[in-house]
Amino acid sequence: MSSELLALKGVGKTYGTVRALQDVSLTLRSGEISCVLGDNGAGKSTLIKIIAGLHQHDEGSYTIGGEEVRFGSPREALDRGIATVYQDLAVVPLMPVWRNFFLGSEQGMRRWGGLRLDADAMRATTREALAKMGIDLHDVDRPIGTLSGGQRQCVAIARAVHFGAEVLILDEPTAALGVKQSGVVLKYVTAARDAGLGVVLITHNPHHAYLVGDHFTLLKRGRMAGSHPRAEISLEQLTTEMAGGSDLAELSHELARPSDSRNSSGSSGSSDSRNSSDSRDSREERPQP
Amino acid sequence: MSTPDLLVQDRPAALRRLLARPELGSLIAAVAVFVVFAVVAEPFLRVSSLGTVLYAASTIGIMAVPVSLLMIGGEFDLSAGVVVTTAALTSSMVSYQFTAVTWVGVLVSLVTTLAIGWFNGWMLGRTKLPSFIVTLGTFLMLTGANLGVTKAISGTVSTKSIADMQGFESCRWLFASEVTIGGLTVKATVWWWLGLLAIGSWVLLRTRFGNWIFAVGGDADAARAVGVPVARTKTVLYLGVGFGAWVLGQHLLFSFDTVQSGEGSGNELIYIVAAVIGGCLITGGYGSVAGSALGALIFGMASKGIIYAQWNPDWFKFFLGAMLLLAALLNAYVKRRAERGPR
Amino acid sequence: MSTTRFRPSRRFWPVCAVLAIAVTAAGCSSTGGRRAEEARAKAAATGGSAVTTPRWKVAMVTHAGAGDAFWDTVRKGAEQAAAKDNITFLYSNDAQTQNQVQLVQAAIDQKVDGLLVTLAKGDAMADVLGKAKAAGIPVITINSGEEYSAKFGALTHIGQDETTAGQAAGQEMAARGRKNVLCVIHEQGNVGQEQRCSGAQSRAGAGFQVMYVNGVNMPDARAAISAKLQSDPSIDTVLTLSGPMAATGLQAVQDAHSGIELDTFDLGPQVVAGLKSGSVGFAVDQQPYLQGYQGVDLIWLYKYNLNMLGGGKPVSTGPQILTKDNADALAEYVARGTR
Repeated sequence: MSSELLALKGVGKTYGTVRALQDVSLTLRSGEISCVLGDNGAGKSTLIKIIAGLHQHDEGSYTIGGEEVRFGSPREALDRGIATVYQDLAVVPLMPVWRNFFLGSEQGMRRWGGLRLDADAMRATTREALAKMGIDLHDVDRPIGTLSGGQRQCVAIARAVHFGAEVLILDEPTAALGVKQSGVVLKYVTAARDAGLGVVLITHNPHHAYLVGDHFTLLKRGRMAGSHPRAEISLEQLTTEMAGGSDLAELSHELARPSDSRNSSGSSGSSDSRNSSDSRDSREERPQP
Repeated sequence: MSTPDLLVQDRPAALRRLLARPELGSLIAAVAVFVVFAVVAEPFLRVSSLGTVLYAASTIGIMAVPVSLLMIGGEFDLSAGVVVTTAALTSSMVSYQFTAVTWVGVLVSLVTTLAIGWFNGWMLGRTKLPSFIVTLGTFLMLTGANLGVTKAISGTVSTKSIADMQGFESCRWLFASEVTIGGLTVKATVWWWLGLLAIGSWVLLRTRFGNWIFAVGGDADAARAVGVPVARTKTVLYLGVGFGAWVLGQHLLFSFDTVQSGEGSGNELIYIVAAVIGGCLITGGYGSVAGSALGALIFGMASKGIIYAQWNPDWFKFFLGAMLLLAALLNAYVKRRAERGPR
Repeated sequence: MSTTRFRPSRRFWPVCAVLAIAVTAAGCSSTGGRRAEEARAKAAATGGSAVTTPRWKVAMVTHAGAGDAFWDTVRKGAEQAAAKDNITFLYSNDAQTQNQVQLVQAAIDQKVDGLLVTLAKGDAMADVLGKAKAAGIPVITINSGEEYSAKFGALTHIGQDETTAGQAAGQEMAARGRKNVLCVIHEQGNVGQEQRCSGAQSRAGAGFQVMYVNGVNMPDARAAISAKLQSDPSIDTVLTLSGPMAATGLQAVQDAHSGIELDTFDLGPQVVAGLKSGSVGFAVDQQPYLQGYQGVDLIWLYKYNLNMLGGGKPVSTGPQILTKDNADALAEYVARGTR
């Protein structure tokens, strides 16, 4: 059994009057991929932002290596070895690959008191680190925007691994990608796990999650709707739970009275019977700048 | 575990890298403008004329350096024109009214311009308003304050001459002297310009802070997510504009002895034009300091070349606008190329 | 789905052509416009040069902003003198001090044979005029900066002393028996405008008030003046300080529906029309045409014959008081752009 990296216990978060997250617990060990699944608005983004230090939790405890933490900025989280790769803001498109790779962790030359960037060494390091992850990119001077979406995610993952992250948080890394590219990204996720990192993989795709995950946490309307080790759940069960699970059964029961055939899916929208106003956050919680 | 689909097919990298340089368009344009005026205007190639062109370029270029850095950082400063006048007025009036050595006024002026820069940056970070609005506000406030304070203190719209005050000569030497090298008269502003250019370019390309400038302009959220202090970076960029304004303001004061309080407004757009011609993207994240120098040089060559060529100067602004549009189109094309990925 | 295409018949194009000609002919204005301007220009055509001196080059650098009618008249005078004196005339202008200085420097670089400069910004020009002197270029200052002219080594100054002009206006108003004068300053802080008003006040011997308006926003200025006239019915005279402001002042006077007289400095088409109709009492002109014409001509005289008018003392081009008696002749000259 490997060591525990981080643990959330009963964590909650409220934005004004909207309860985005409530009583969520999660434990991550090194060399483990823990998947967080949920529909849009289930609270996944809030969870990430708490772990990554963009937001702070209101309830519960957040511990790293057993020590209680409360981050004021992403920088603090980074310093504790928690690196986050966001789906849409992983990299700065117009900047060259090597500048992106070192962004926020630039390498200075000792001769200049660390003021001057050691550009050649940074280029070489980028090339090496990418090669170690299996990405063969000679021209690290090209703008990273010219790489494909999957490649950009991979560079971001390689960056986190290179800078000694212990925890890697991936926000929907496969959401915008095609099948083939998704496969490549998942391969690098496992590469990161093999390098000894703990990975939190956020996704709404149970198939992708089940390919790599060791543990599955389901979120629904800001609450935990299930937490299973891989051994206790099959892909089919996971898919069913994602698709609505008991809600879906209830719904199909209710809709069954007239001989109607519209009961195939559509779990998220139905809120007729249990419209408890507190836990619904149909608004996604991304704060607009 | 190399996968074939991640092998990026590299085009001839050297050629592509040259084509992707932000300065390329302005370099071509600068050479073209030089050739045109060298052919049509006989006095243009004289050494003395070169001095005049360099001087005109330097008075734009000193401000174009920090303004281009700020634009790469994704922000504007519409107060950049009048703050130059503020710098000159402050220095002049402090020295005169307190009968102080002119160096005192110079230092107070530096503190003032840096404070204005800091205020811009702080407001931007605090309010999250677009910099266009924030600096439009400072622009208007400074325009009014320049006129109002000067009239209240001096009684007229211009300051009194400080040419006979102690320290004037040494300040003049620093900000407004000139040396003649083989017939070429080089004003102090040219040295300041070259110095700022070298420092600005080095900071942008070779320091951690430069990396942050690119990042906050390219994608502030992504930069924040990897731990870049976005608000602080932008504030420092505004301080840079304040510093440039201080240098140029002292030059105006010590070369002309008196300052007209109503001047300076409108120049902020010329600085932005120089930066855009030099390859800065109006949306930030891309550009170069060297390009801004070429933009200033084009401005200097065109504004004086038209005189040397004995053309009607009424058309100068038209020419400048056409240059700006061409540059902006070229930049947009470059950006599209840079962002177009083999998805 | 198909639509019927319009296919022009063979007769279509000729019909179009006839129509076009008819429309063009009917649309011609029989008065004014470019044709009238060209006719006037032909009438006022300047002959070729009348002298045998080599082709000298004279540059004029002013502090004018873009598109100012006053400076067009100055320029026109200079151009006509240049044509007569076989001189290449170069004009440039910039309202900002440092840019005007650079333009003077550019003229020196070109090794011009003579330089005409306005000194609105006084001290700032000292250095660059010193360079002109060192380069052996004769300098004459025009329009503004009389007090600096000799100090900076200029041969002479051609222009109007604003205080004197103001006094002339004040005397004329006193002679006309005006009781309460409103002087409208349209550029706050412009020293010349302050001098005009205070000069007029010193000689008007009547009630005198000064108001400030925003000269670059004419509707605003008009509203401000008419509001002032309505609030103080004792005002019987409005004194404006430029041609365009006189036009605005006339509108304001009309708004106020009172028998107020408008007097003004400088000329313009509306001022001349007003002189003719009687709505403008008199105009004090500084004769901008003369500033340009004499500037170039004096340079020529100096280069040709070392002459200098006024023995180096400032040469006055104004004030000249113009009234209804001059209106007819002025109308023609204003229209051709020389007044």
